[in-house]
Amino acid sequence: MTMLRKIRHELNTMPKFVYITAALTVFGLSIALYRMFVGLGATTNLSKEFPWGIWISFDLATVALSGGAFTLAALVYVFQFEDLHPATRPTVLAGLLGYSSVMVILLFDLGRWDRFYNVFLHPNVSSALLEVSWCITAYTLILVYELSPVLLQNSRLKWLLPIIKKYTVPIVIAGVTLSTMHQSSLGTMFIIMSPRLHPLWSSMLLPVFFLISSFASGISLVVAGSSVSHWLFGRSLKIKTMAKLSWFIPWILAFYLVIKFGELVIAGEWDLLFSSGNYSLLFWAEIIFGVLIPIGMFAFRQVRFSRTASLIGALFIMGGTVLNRFDVTWFSIASVNGEVYTPHWMEIAILVGVAAGVVTVYSLIARYFPVYEETEPHQLPVEVRPFENSHAAGD
Amino acid sequence: MTHQPTNPRYGFLIDASYCIDCRSCMVACSVENNVPMDSTRIWIKETGITGTYPDLKRFTAPFHCMHCKDPSCVSACTVSALTRNDDGIVSYNQDICIGCRYCVYACPFGVPNYQWDEPLPLVIKCDMCFARLGEGQQPACAATCPTGAIQFGRYEDMLAEAHRKINERPDKYVQHIYGEEENGGTATLYISPVPFEELGFPIAGTTSPAYSNRLVTEGTPMVAGAMLVGLTGVYLTIKHLREEAERDRVEAAKEKAAQSAGEEQ
Repeated sequence: MTMLRKIRHELNTMPKFVYITAALTVFGLSIALYRMFVGLGATTNLSKEFPWGIWISFDLATVALSGGAFTLAALVYVFQFEDLHPATRPTVLAGLLGYSSVMVILLFDLGRWDRFYNVFLHPNVSSALLEVSWCITAYTLILVYELSPVLLQNSRLKWLLPIIKKYTVPIVIAGVTLSTMHQSSLGTMFIIMSPRLHPLWSSMLLPVFFLISSFASGISLVVAGSSVSHWLFGRSLKIKTMAKLSWFIPWILAFYLVIKFGELVIAGEWDLLFSSGNYSLLFWAEIIFGVLIPIGMFAFRQVRFSRTASLIGALFIMGGTVLNRFDVTWFSIASVNGEVYTPHWMEIAILVGVAAGVVTVYSLIARYFPVYEETEPHQLPVEVRPFENSHAAGD
Repeated sequence: MTHQPTNPRYGFLIDASYCIDCRSCMVACSVENNVPMDSTRIWIKETGITGTYPDLKRFTAPFHCMHCKDPSCVSACTVSALTRNDDGIVSYNQDICIGCRYCVYACPFGVPNYQWDEPLPLVIKCDMCFARLGEGQQPACAATCPTGAIQFGRYEDMLAEAHRKINERPDKYVQHIYGEEENGGTATLYISPVPFEELGFPIAGTTSPAYSNRLVTEGTPMVAGAMLVGLTGVYLTIKHLREEAERDRVEAAKEKAAQSAGEEQ
């Protein structure tokens, strides 16, 4: 009886949006199940001209945003910026959920999902996609390892913690290497498609562009996520930790800017910046909103120390990176017969479902597990909580 | 891991001026491979009707896999479902394919298609009628073509024949053999009385993007190894510097303590 009452109380105190995201998840996944039974033709607008659609764009954007996990792991464990340590847990959790959602979507995307394991049995080493799939699988396992202390901390398996901690540094180094490899391999994937890609995006340096922008957007996700969770759950990173992290942003973005324009100059494609109509607009939107404005913002101490301003700046960067991945995977791809791809509503429903699933799981884990080690509670309601284990402030 | 593209053993020579758009090749392909007419591995490209009445013109040409010397699809394929064999035939192993459709995107000629309406679909792609070649027969499309627009034979012979034809009739043919250099050279060669762009043939570069792709992907293990060493080095160096600084600090404190103790005595 007490158990039931406890559950009912938990459900009642759950933030209301969790119900909505849970419902969206169920809806999206049922559509996905339908797609598995009827094939891609009836449920997507994919075609011979555009065999990849919004799912792949979403995957690439998600992996880029999840880049915070390896960037931070490198900063904290390899470069030993120990005061950034409190940021690792929420980031690793976000990264793990991001990668899991990518794997789920990829499974829906694969025509022969029933034999996905052939990736391991019959590898083709010159394929960039093989590299991506191996690295993503291995790296997801590493993220589980990195997150395991959070999940085990209050469990009977607590005795494993010292063993896990002992091997953390080598595991992190392997994880950072794997991430570097697949973040860049996602760009490599489009080198072979150069005949289809608009020259503003097509480049031998695509792997480098993808890697660098994943640093910036990954850090931005940590900054944005910590601001949002400050308001939603009252648990978050200290503003000092956040500011320390966002200090890296202008440098990373400036580096990105230099190689991005440098490549265009060297390739002699400078004039395309102004002569490609909508393509030029897309390119400049990426650069102005995703790079120039954020550099200007995060250069200021006042921005780095303000949750609201940091959130806005971080959203700009994430938006720019997402637009970049959509450009490379979708908008900049030339159509051969004048065909245009617009996603089917079921494609979008499945995406929304998976994204909602990520938000649901993140919220639940952030609520019940010690994800935020250092918390900076904002004004909690003065009411006394009836149960000791309900430590969230969400109502 | 050098990759030296070899000349294919067999080749096609397709002459657009002979094609009458009868689509026998498509029917033959459909029968040979037991596939419906909307998913044959050969199809017709055309210029559309050009000119003004009464001088109307329309050119067509059958189009199928080019069987590149250095195929992008083979380099792209995640698993090893697409391979190029010693005879230069680019074939598809339907038992391995996972359906990622990277080949469909990677092909600069827009050749591979996909069974969009199957629950468990496969890639649709010409395999040069591999089974028929083993029996000493020509590919179904070439054997069926009533006008001789699709010729099949040894690659060198086809290339020589193409050169002979366009040299003999410069008034009739465009002075270009499509496939001689496209994407690094292909086993399927085309000659045409109209520019190939007008027939809807993609403009492909003379080197295969598969080459640039391999430059990067085959260098990856080395980069990964270097990173593992580099990151370990960075970790140990910073740790060492910190420990040293800490030791210096402790020693300095000890000395200071000893000094002040000495002063007291």
